[in-house]
Amino acid sequence: MDIFLQQIMNGAVIGSTYAVVAVGFALVFIVLRVVNFAHPEIFMLGMFSGLWTALHISDNLAVVLVAGAIGAGLGGLVLERVVIRPLHGRNMLMTLLATLGVSIILQNGMAIITGPDPVPYPTIIPNMSVPLGPVSLTARQLVNFAACAILLITASYYVRGTKYGRATRAVAERPDVAAAFGVNVSLISLITVVFASLMAGIAAVSVGLLYGSAWAFVGLLYGLKAFIILLVAGNRYFEGVVFVAIALGIIEALITGYVSSGMRDVVTFTLLIGVLYFRPNGVFGSYNA
Amino acid sequence: MSALLKVSGLSVAYGAVPAILDVSLEMQPGEVRVILGANGAGKTTIIKTLLGLVRARSGTIQFDGKHDLTRLKSHQIHQLGIAWVPEGRQLWGSLTVLENLRMGAFIEHDEAKVEKGIAAMFERFPRLQERRNQLAASLSGGEQQMVAIARALISKPRLLLMDEPSIGLAPLVVRDIFDLVRAINQDGISVLMVEQNARQALALAHWAYLLEIGQIVESGPAGEISTKERVQEVFLGGAA
Repeated sequence: MDIFLQQIMNGAVIGSTYAVVAVGFALVFIVLRVVNFAHPEIFMLGMFSGLWTALHISDNLAVVLVAGAIGAGLGGLVLERVVIRPLHGRNMLMTLLATLGVSIILQNGMAIITGPDPVPYPTIIPNMSVPLGPVSLTARQLVNFAACAILLITASYYVRGTKYGRATRAVAERPDVAAAFGVNVSLISLITVVFASLMAGIAAVSVGLLYGSAWAFVGLLYGLKAFIILLVAGNRYFEGVVFVAIALGIIEALITGYVSSGMRDVVTFTLLIGVLYFRPNGVFGSYNA
Repeated sequence: MSALLKVSGLSVAYGAVPAILDVSLEMQPGEVRVILGANGAGKTTIIKTLLGLVRARSGTIQFDGKHDLTRLKSHQIHQLGIAWVPEGRQLWGSLTVLENLRMGAFIEHDEAKVEKGIAAMFERFPRLQERRNQLAASLSGGEQQMVAIARALISKPRLLLMDEPSIGLAPLVVRDIFDLVRAINQDGISVLMVEQNARQALALAHWAYLLEIGQIVESGPAGEISTKERVQEVFLGGAA
């Protein structure tokens, strides 16, 4: 029983990172109608920005997290202005392919700089475990989970509770009408990509600290998971995406704990195909292109 | 008095297909003008070009004698005091009524003025106050049209562009909408309306244009236009 609860907690921690990446991916899709395949590599840029800052500038946790946000945010800014914006209004496949190209360049570019293998992250958070009733989490897991939870709450507040968040939803639903009511749609698009990138960057640093490494190809893992989560959840409801992300993390942890880690992806993809068979727009519904 | 709006030689094409050709029209401050035309005549294209949502191929759109709208982006055009009641309402259905109104006041940064504007709209449309926290998509057609009009009025525009405000509404509601347009105009807001409901639109307008296949074929005071044979034939159901 304790192992069961422990695996649920471990899975929820992993799932919280999936949720941050997936929500960023979904935000960009519903606001810009762009499938941003470079989003996981923006996450990776954040991870290395944190790493380099920790090695060369400061190993203060807050500084390293902010560095991850800045690195990823700048990556998002350049991506939006240089790649996504010029292709605005073209066929969606064009931006999809362009961002896929960017993701390949970033993965392999980073591999040239840092090597193809994971690079060790400096120890900033002590490796201690914190008992929580019948289970326990490490301090690193708690930092990862707390960072992701704060990011998701911030995203929810931004979209639901602020004037620009309202305008962002208006652009997502009817960009032309929003423009005719004074919303600078191009600016909202930029803010959305940068915001999603900032979130990914902070989450990425907390993941680097959790596993003690940064990796040029880490985006492949998180990107695929985020993509599956969106296909299963649909992109319409924020809570739906977060729910499915946490659920996926828990399912993975349970399979790893009780069956084998080799079966993990078999079950994940079987679930994906099963859900899409019965709910092609995802469990909670989708905005389509 | 200088024209509020002066459109000269405006042409728009979608790819190789011309939508409107050499359209010229103007509005004096305080007027209601109507553009009559069948489906596909290019009425909505004119409105969207004024709003910067569709790019002109040639021609100019002077607003207030000094701004050329063909050179501005949509959000800049709105800031000059031009608001839109789109065809088929086009509300943000996933936003509440209140959020739709707040979006109508997006360019107003003074929160107290936004609240005042919302209160004024609720006074004008008490039904919307009851429904303020409902999603706009859940409202009836007539209520949605009220939201669309309130959303446009809340920014206190100088020029209101109305694209088929009566379409798809019950006859009694249509009468209310036209009464409302009259009241809006009496508040000093100029209205450029596109309509298929010619009889009611002509009764209201000061001036009318007849648009056929992208070109203006008749233009004159509404009273005169309604006696023209072509208008009688197409819109008013035969001889007067």
